[in-house]
Amino acid sequence: MDNVATDKDWKVCFSQLGPGLLLFARQWVRSRTDAEDIVQEAFVRFWRRNHNVDNRALLYATVRSIALDLIRRDSRRARREAQALSDSEQAVEPQFDFADDSQCALAAAVDRLPHDQREVLVMKIWNELTFGEIGAALGISQNTAASRYRYALAALKKSVQLR
Amino acid sequence: MNDFSEIENELMKLRPVQLSHEFAARVEQAIADPESREGKIIGPNRFRINRVALGFGLAAAAVFVLLVRVTTDRAPGQGEKIAQNSPAVGTKSTLSNQFIPAGATQVVYNTRDEGLHFADGSEAPMRRVRYQTHETLRWHNPGTGASIRVSYPSEEIVLIPVSGQ
Repeated sequence: MDNVATDKDWKVCFSQLGPGLLLFARQWVRSRTDAEDIVQEAFVRFWRRNHNVDNRALLYATVRSIALDLIRRDSRRARREAQALSDSEQAVEPQFDFADDSQCALAAAVDRLPHDQREVLVMKIWNELTFGEIGAALGISQNTAASRYRYALAALKKSVQLR
Repeated sequence: MNDFSEIENELMKLRPVQLSHEFAARVEQAIADPESREGKIIGPNRFRINRVALGFGLAAAAVFVLLVRVTTDRAPGQGEKIAQNSPAVGTKSTLSNQFIPAGATQVVYNTRDEGLHFADGSEAPMRRVRYQTHETLRWHNPGTGASIRVSYPSEEIVLIPVSGQ
């Protein structure tokens, strides 16, 4: 198991992956605090088990697994999150640092994407995973991941052109 | 993909919210603290789910036992009535208490891939697949013509070892 991270460089690893992991976790829970809890559990678990830090598909699969377990365990929370997803066009707590209004509108368009497309987009754009890694993390084929990504981009492009 | 290069560039300009210092400190503490190693980690729910399936199975078995007892208690009375009409019934009466399995069906009406999980104590990830099925067991008594059918829902979690990642 090469490239296993050590305790010395965990901060570097976490600072690099953390923002993307947090964004990924927030695809299931809109609260930043909940997303932080999920990322913490996933990252600590991944770290403790000395998994290869290059195995990003496994890390993201761990985040996804913990997020799904969390919302399944608490159905009330799941209903609340689902209600929040349907009611709000944009999360109460922003997921991005906006530079201008156009970026704010683009983030809102991302937020309106279907969930399966959005999670692929988040993994590809802001976490720089390959389609192979995305497929492995989500349990779908590489082609399906690429297809969802293209659908997401097409929808966003259309949304931007309409503005 | 060139058609989307412009929108991809726009998306890449969006920067995810950075980590707060409090959050980084919390993770640092969790990594440094061996006590917190397993305390907050969510384990797979397979054992809880299996108990549910076991409950359905036991309930179905109890219903089956009750039905068999009721049927066998009635069988002698029916045999006497038939014997008055037909002398050949004597050979049938030896079979009247025997229920023979007539078939079993298992209909899988939903399969859900729940992604990769870590089983307790396992270093390697496992893929968790949830099967929701409806099982029907049938028995037939050739002597009396009676039949029993027991149906119950069932949920099965299968953990498949993942390798090569």
